[in-house]
Amino acid sequence: MFILDDLLVRPFVGIVDTLHTMALNEMYDIDALEDELKENQLLYELGERSEAEYRERKAELEEEIEIARDVHERLTSGRVEVKS
Amino acid sequence: MTNRYVYGVMADEPVEFETDAVGGADRVYTVSHRRLNAVVSDIDTTDPEETDEDAQRHDDVLREIMDRDGGRTIVPMQFGMAFESDRALKNVLRGARPAFRRAMNDIDGRIELGLKVVREEDADVDDVIEEAVADRLEPIAAQSVPNDMFSDRLVLNRSYLVDRDDREAFDEAVVDLEDEYDDLMFRYTGPFAPYSFVDVKIGAQR
Repeated sequence: MFILDDLLVRPFVGIVDTLHTMALNEMYDIDALEDELKENQLLYELGERSEAEYRERKAELEEEIEIARDVHERLTSGRVEVKS
Repeated sequence: MTNRYVYGVMADEPVEFETDAVGGADRVYTVSHRRLNAVVSDIDTTDPEETDEDAQRHDDVLREIMDRDGGRTIVPMQFGMAFESDRALKNVLRGARPAFRRAMNDIDGRIELGLKVVREEDADVDDVIEEAVADRLEPIAAQSVPNDMFSDRLVLNRSYLVDRDDREAFDEAVVDLEDEYDDLMFRYTGPFAPYSFVDVKIGAQR
């Protein structure tokens, strides 16, 4: 099990830290956002979304992906402060 | 602009033509090492950003070459391969020669076609469609690969490598499937350069 293994392997990492990281990963799931970007394109190509809707959603998702990348970069460089 | 942006590599005669190229260039030409010709345009960076427009230009250049002289064979590169000099590029052509030769053999005279089958929102779909598509299309295609199922709405997402001579038969088979499964939406795309069927990556060596 992921949480247990992680805590056993890295005993110095507090449970709050681990849970916080997991929560951030879920909130800023780059793969899910990229999938939604592709779906937006597909629905536009199939005529289910208008060009305006497509462009608006695309801009939103690209911004979210950029934020998510930034959060992940901070996570891996340890610059996200975890308060317990 | 001494950097070279690479679209693909071919063994046929060199080309040179004017077009809207990636990164604002207006001319596409070839940089050659022995019998390998890299199709390039000039660019001011070695790390181009993949905008929708430039991704489209990359595809358009490859298609233009594929349509030349009754159908040329080009090993396509993914978007973003750029080298700081002709010399750096030629070194890579030299090093990757066997890989390019193999890839050219695999895709000679062939094109890539894409098929996505999409269900209506909230509709249930019988698995039988996957089998039906495979039964009709796989015998015509030389090869096929599954693609990322990035949406719950996707029932099937596949790329097919098809001989140019079999293109018509493949088109007809897709139309038949569309007629038969009219509760599903078919997104049939291409022809593309066979990106999904070559595995030559040269960017890391620049």
